[in-house]
Amino acid sequence: MAGVSRLQYTPEIKTVRIMCTGRIDPAMVARAFQKGLDGLMVVGCYFGDCHYISGNVQAKAKIDMTRKLFKYIGVNEERLAFRQCSSGEASVFVKLVTEFDEKIRDLGPLGGDGDRVKAPEIFGKLKAAEAVLAGEKIRWVMGKRTPFLETGNMYGEIFTEHEFNRAIDMIIVEEIEVQEILAKLKEGARSVKDLAGDLAIPSERIFRYITALKRKGMVALDNVTDRSPIFQLVPQEV
Amino acid sequence: MPENNDQDIRIGVFICHCGSNIAGYLDMEALSDYAQTLPNVTFVQRNLYSCSEGGINEIKKGVEEQDLNRVVVASCTPRTHEPLFRSSCEEAGLNPYLFEMVNIRDQCSWVHMREKEDGTAKAKDLIRMGVAKAALLEPQESITSDVCARALVIGGGLAGMTASTALARRGYEVVLVEKEENLGGMLRRLHKLGPTMTDASDLMEEKIQEIVQHAKITVFTQSRVTAVQGFIGKFEADIETQSGVKKIDIGVILMATGGRAFVPEGLYGYDGQRVITQLEMEKLLNNGLDSDIKNVVMIQCVGSRNQERPYCSRICCQIAVKNAILTKDQIPDASVSILYRDMQMYGVENEEMFRDSKAKGVRYIHYDPARPPQTESDQVRVYHSLLGREMALPTDLVVLSTPLVAPEDAGITSQILRVPVDENGFFLEGHVKLKPLDFATDGIFLCGSARFPANIREVIAQGLGAASRASIPMSKGSVVVEPIISVLADEDACRGCGLCVALCPYGALEIRHTEKGRKVHVIDVACKGCGVCAATCYQHALTINSYTDQQLQAQIDAFLIDDI
Repeated sequence: MAGVSRLQYTPEIKTVRIMCTGRIDPAMVARAFQKGLDGLMVVGCYFGDCHYISGNVQAKAKIDMTRKLFKYIGVNEERLAFRQCSSGEASVFVKLVTEFDEKIRDLGPLGGDGDRVKAPEIFGKLKAAEAVLAGEKIRWVMGKRTPFLETGNMYGEIFTEHEFNRAIDMIIVEEIEVQEILAKLKEGARSVKDLAGDLAIPSERIFRYITALKRKGMVALDNVTDRSPIFQLVPQEV
Repeated sequence: MPENNDQDIRIGVFICHCGSNIAGYLDMEALSDYAQTLPNVTFVQRNLYSCSEGGINEIKKGVEEQDLNRVVVASCTPRTHEPLFRSSCEEAGLNPYLFEMVNIRDQCSWVHMREKEDGTAKAKDLIRMGVAKAALLEPQESITSDVCARALVIGGGLAGMTASTALARRGYEVVLVEKEENLGGMLRRLHKLGPTMTDASDLMEEKIQEIVQHAKITVFTQSRVTAVQGFIGKFEADIETQSGVKKIDIGVILMATGGRAFVPEGLYGYDGQRVITQLEMEKLLNNGLDSDIKNVVMIQCVGSRNQERPYCSRICCQIAVKNAILTKDQIPDASVSILYRDMQMYGVENEEMFRDSKAKGVRYIHYDPARPPQTESDQVRVYHSLLGREMALPTDLVVLSTPLVAPEDAGITSQILRVPVDENGFFLEGHVKLKPLDFATDGIFLCGSARFPANIREVIAQGLGAASRASIPMSKGSVVVEPIISVLADEDACRGCGLCVALCPYGALEIRHTEKGRKVHVIDVACKGCGVCAATCYQHALTINSYTDQQLQAQIDAFLIDDI
């Protein structure tokens, strides 16, 4: 409606049409940032007013989770926003895009002063983020969010939003660390101690992840050097 | 035919000037020169109006003569013009879903009117993004499904009865479900109906007779709908009747569950005797008022337009005025006062009724919600905001005008039908202006006070309207659905976990046992293509036609290429 009302806003904003914000896939979001996007605003209907009933509720939950993950990996989470306005509220839309544009201008390009982690390291982090967001664990838990909060798990236990978010926080840390280990091992075989040094993660935790990855058949023992086992990636079928 | 294999993608880009709406603010020549350079683009043309007959013919000619297998129109908004351009492609022999629209008017020339250079650069970006997506578009076939010519009407009040009769007269079978012992709903409790002062019982009997006598209508009283499965054209409802649960196949559903008068417990000394509601007043009027009643005070907006119920129930003013007139008619020397905040008397006849009431001596006293009237045993004290002083009105009877509220079981009904309710518990239509009698879910319609408090005339109009809307798919016999829906793109990846099934707002997904084990199945006519399932699936097995991961990524990637 901004166009029909001839309300002017910045040409920096480009739009990608989706039928409902429910279509927003966090993995795609991380991929876009990794490819050089500086800011993404998802604009959906108001809650209770969703043309697709509840797509916006799912989108908000996914964006909230992705923002947590961004914050954790050192990407300023303000670069990703979920906002709401109705299709008739031209002036609200213009206000939203104008504010967002100003925010992103303040932050500057991705991996600059606006972010805790700088370029080019930030792109590696985003690659790990994409793998996490495309991965089974976080998607499964996010998919179960509504049932967990509303009808409970298979034992009928209903979770509070707080409990659920705490679980998500933990999963984000674990999943990112696992992806970083896998990325490191892709560069070459390493020992637990090497990985702990490279990634600044305590070696007990690395050891736990490696054991789990070994059990899943994703990592295997390569050789033993100086009484230290060296692990390598097992090529996965695509 | 133009639908070639992937190696040979030939995209035609048509750039619309929209008169001066686009051409007046963007550099059109630069746009068409730029479009020529984009990958897979084999033909670019500018049109004064792409949507004019000439423009449409150019698009068709382009498809036929240039052997185009993808069409991009850079013009206005898909909301208004996508169907037109799609059908032009189809007429030229191109699958209509190999068309992509780029909005360089509403999203560019109209919103960057003072920045020709930046606006043109943005338009280039948008065209590049559209072309990138178009290259990956795949043909889609429209989905057709049969519609069972039987309607389920839930609620046997005026709205439900009106809709049922209207549908039956058109030759459709109707199953009418009423939870009470008798049909009639709220009408059964009313005396006379304003502004015409018709007897409610006359109208009700007339409606009931029509229902009972119509061979096409089956009525289940003291019954409830307990479960609904399926989708437009092929719903199956479980109806709990006096003689057990009946399973009925239906094509469409009409919600006419009405509203409920709010009972003002604890407000203004409500006791159901000396302080009553308008609904209780209807009964007194029907029985004939006790001639000892000489002083009647009515208080408006009791339990409405407050924090708990912020809405105006909008029919209570008419009811109060009507009952004030009827009181005056029965006891001409009675004093009747209406204490109001604002009088909601829309419509010519209601205005007339309002004037009549004043002519008959009904007094109107404005009160301020900050200083509400006080009811005492034999009087009401009210601060008259216009006179600026407190008045004491003697009373034999205080009548409270309370709002209609959503029925207690609206939440359950909403869950059974998977249709939304608003913040006040009333059912929410698909769109305020475009689909006022439809739910967002196809094949389910609503009318009467189930949506919002409505007076008799509105209820009848809505009942007829909803019946008319509901008869569209039934008269066609089939529904055609846009194929922009979820598809199981990678069947092997699907583990049949059901994560998506639980999240689907339309009940469009189900798990089926196949040769390959448990797999999700998309009920194509029920799916709306919101994408929640595709964005959630951890196996990336589901996708959305015309909005696949690859297509959206191509669009984003094209945006991030900076080649201008």
